[in-house]
Amino acid sequence: MQDWCKKRPHEWHKYINQEVRVTAHDKNEYQGWVFTVDPVSGSVVLVTLHGQQSTSVRVVMGHAVRDVEVLKEGDEEIAQQLNALFMPAGSQVLTN
Amino acid sequence: TGTDAVHVEEEQRLRTELRERFLRSLILMSNKEVYFSMYERVQVQAKFGASDIDILNFQVSDLQTPLGVQKEAILRCQDIISYSFDL
Repeated sequence: MQDWCKKRPHEWHKYINQEVRVTAHDKNEYQGWVFTVDPVSGSVVLVTLHGQQSTSVRVVMGHAVRDVEVLKEGDEEIAQQLNALFMPAGSQVLTN
Repeated sequence: TGTDAVHVEEEQRLRTELRERFLRSLILMSNKEVYFSMYERVQVQAKFGASDIDILNFQVSDLQTPLGVQKEAILRCQDIISYSFDL
């Protein structure tokens, strides 16, 4: 694929809230929901949801990313779950 | 031209949103135990303190390495493949 670090913001933005598999240097593979891609370094922030018990975050450094493959499209529920993890309570948009 | 200006503005808006989200992920990491996968398959863990503004270096405490514990350390981001922490 085209050099990951050289992609444009709108290309990275498409990955938000998608479940992906990131292949990194040394054949390391990571799977998770994309919360964001740092537009400066190309680093990918992945969230793994293990039900109610635990949630973990893995960041793959942009310079080590070799390939990113979309596994599943996220829905509104995933988007809300991810936002709730990172955004302070006061800045969340409330509905109803 | 006008359409180019709109295009640039939209790219900037997306860039800002991506960056804000990334900075929030850094805030969430402060004072947490973070696991780092480095080159040459070295795994270390440490308590994350701060990053410099360019995010080229991480300041960490109690860095546990295969050779022992470093009370305070700076990790160069270019030496890291990935890092993870629990919420």
